[in-house]
Amino acid sequence: MKLHLGHLYPEFLNLYGDRGNVLILCRRAQWRGIQVEVTPISLGDKLVPGAYDLLFLGGGPDQEQGIASADLVAKGPWLKEAVEEGTALLAICGGYQLLGEYYRTASGETLPGVGLFAVYTEAGNKRLKGNIAIQMPELGSEHPVIGFENHSGRTFLKGSRPLGQVIYGDGNNGADGTEGARYRNAIGTYLHGPLLSKNPHLADYLLRLALRRRYGEVELSPLDDTLEMATNTAVYKRFLPTRGKW
Amino acid sequence: MLRRILAILAGRLVAFLCRCLKKGGTSLPGFLALKLDPDLIEGLIAGYRKVIIVTGTNGKTTTTNLLASILRASGLRVVSNSEGANMPAGVATALLGQRGEVAVLEVDEGSLALVTGQVQADVVVVTNLLRDQLDRYHELEQLAEAIKIALAHTPDAALVLNADDSLVTSLGDGRSTVRYFGLARTPWSQETTREVLEGHICPHCHQPLGFKFYHYSHLGDYFCPRCSYRRPRAEYEGRGLQLKPGGTDFNLVHPGGALFLHTPMPGIYNVYNILAAAGTALYLGVEPATIVRVVASFLPGQGRAEAFNLRDRRITLMLVKNPTGMGVALRTLATGRQKMAFLLAINDLAADGRDVSWLWDADLTPLLAIPGNPIICAGLRAGDMAICLKYQGIKEADLEVIPDPAASIECLLAKPVKEALILCTYTNLAVYRRLLQHRGARSEVTPGTSLPGVS
Repeated sequence: MKLHLGHLYPEFLNLYGDRGNVLILCRRAQWRGIQVEVTPISLGDKLVPGAYDLLFLGGGPDQEQGIASADLVAKGPWLKEAVEEGTALLAICGGYQLLGEYYRTASGETLPGVGLFAVYTEAGNKRLKGNIAIQMPELGSEHPVIGFENHSGRTFLKGSRPLGQVIYGDGNNGADGTEGARYRNAIGTYLHGPLLSKNPHLADYLLRLALRRRYGEVELSPLDDTLEMATNTAVYKRFLPTRGKW
Repeated sequence: MLRRILAILAGRLVAFLCRCLKKGGTSLPGFLALKLDPDLIEGLIAGYRKVIIVTGTNGKTTTTNLLASILRASGLRVVSNSEGANMPAGVATALLGQRGEVAVLEVDEGSLALVTGQVQADVVVVTNLLRDQLDRYHELEQLAEAIKIALAHTPDAALVLNADDSLVTSLGDGRSTVRYFGLARTPWSQETTREVLEGHICPHCHQPLGFKFYHYSHLGDYFCPRCSYRRPRAEYEGRGLQLKPGGTDFNLVHPGGALFLHTPMPGIYNVYNILAAAGTALYLGVEPATIVRVVASFLPGQGRAEAFNLRDRRITLMLVKNPTGMGVALRTLATGRQKMAFLLAINDLAADGRDVSWLWDADLTPLLAIPGNPIICAGLRAGDMAICLKYQGIKEADLEVIPDPAASIECLLAKPVKEALILCTYTNLAVYRRLLQHRGARSEVTPGTSLPGVS
């Protein structure tokens, strides 16, 4: 069994240690005897639908994001076709925003997105930042998904379903209690950086989505996640608002 | 005026009480005095002959202290916030403490505008701009923009800038007096980099920069393939670098000649600190012989690769706060050693940065080089550190997660090793220093003076 992972713009979109997720996905596959091939996909590279089981897109600083976004919009049709065919995808923060329909800046300018997710984003004045926990029932785990968010954009769902419900933190826009977006096997989220490190249940869910297209339902052998889950619980409880935010 | 006198008296009283109670007090007196008189710094700085501000991401404290030492050795009365309390409260505390002819002020890159709004600096030194505490400072380009705005408040200040950092260099655009310091190619320079890149976009035409070589992070010899933007010629340039077990030797080539410098401080990052401090001193007209003498004997402050002796062990305590600093610290202090124990104490309080995602951007290769070395993860984010190491390839059997500082030190001291390295984020530094001293550890640097306070 082999996992083909495409890493989009690794040199531009890696603001908060996002590349850690690629390492985590590789290790968790390799520990189960699944081969992994990671292909960087960057400016001007053609994206062949069907070549990848899983695509990863991180967030970037404004300038880098600007460089990547022009190229990404050109790749939009390929990307959408790949996702329609069942390719799994994880997009974080800036990557998530770029895959929406548009981003409206503070000055009222509208930057077009790929339109993979039926969401749109508007600039906000105050950054939404801090520890966040969300509920994702489809993971079938009593553990929440936890992470850190830091974004000024407010994203609103316009048809896509959310990735999860906010337990604490701000999520998409700090108002409607939703976090992230979901379309077929594609996931967009504001939980940045090494999101999968404290959420091995989400990492394995993504691996199963990725392998499904080529190999059907795959049973992943269990790994020892004691460290990851203990950290998930400790961080989750520490920032539960009932116990004081900090 | 009465307001100012009251503020000064109140500040000095609090400083006196802090000394009586043996509480650091590097920020509190200034904090309270600034509440009474928000323009206090402007008042206190009047009458100084020269004011020098040191800012940037890494190396501020060492550069500030070295420059202050050089100026003192040349006979000047120097006031400086030497203990790293670099917010306005720390600056005010230092100025309340005594009067001098020259002020050398370390200023946090995030509060620079607050200080330049009150102080007409003669020289501003910028060490580097690296990815650091993104939840506080946001993206690097935004930080560079904020510094540019802060510098506009002191249009007449000379700038001493790092030529090897494209983001820092761009701060010199349109300024009347700019001097650059930099480091020529060394045997350790690399043509490609494993590190996460920042500052690799041309500040003028916004295209990716090319690099002839990297020293570390995005510091190196860069050029824009499209426009004429490139690393400027450095008036103060380090050449012929030799890293040795007992320190570092290099030549500082400057417009008036060359100095042969020896420093007991390890690591290439300290060469940059010396270039910044010595370059500024040369610009101010200090005798070269004084610079050579001070550099040869200067040791960095507490917790900056501070070595302790405890029983038959040598334990090095090092502040880490961002991925580049962590990677360089490991490369400098852990490479080429055999058996060694590590303690990584990571907190996520306000002064550390709430977001610990940066751990995944650090190059931890030196930790992986010798399998079987014990690694203890401590602090509020001990689990995050351990998970990061697990996925980088450290065997779980070599990893221990002990969040409590005292318990983690006991565990470290039980390891059968001669050498240990403790890497701490900011709020853990004083804690671990105290724990070591309570167990009888003796610092090779400074006999127990006051600790840097959390500002």
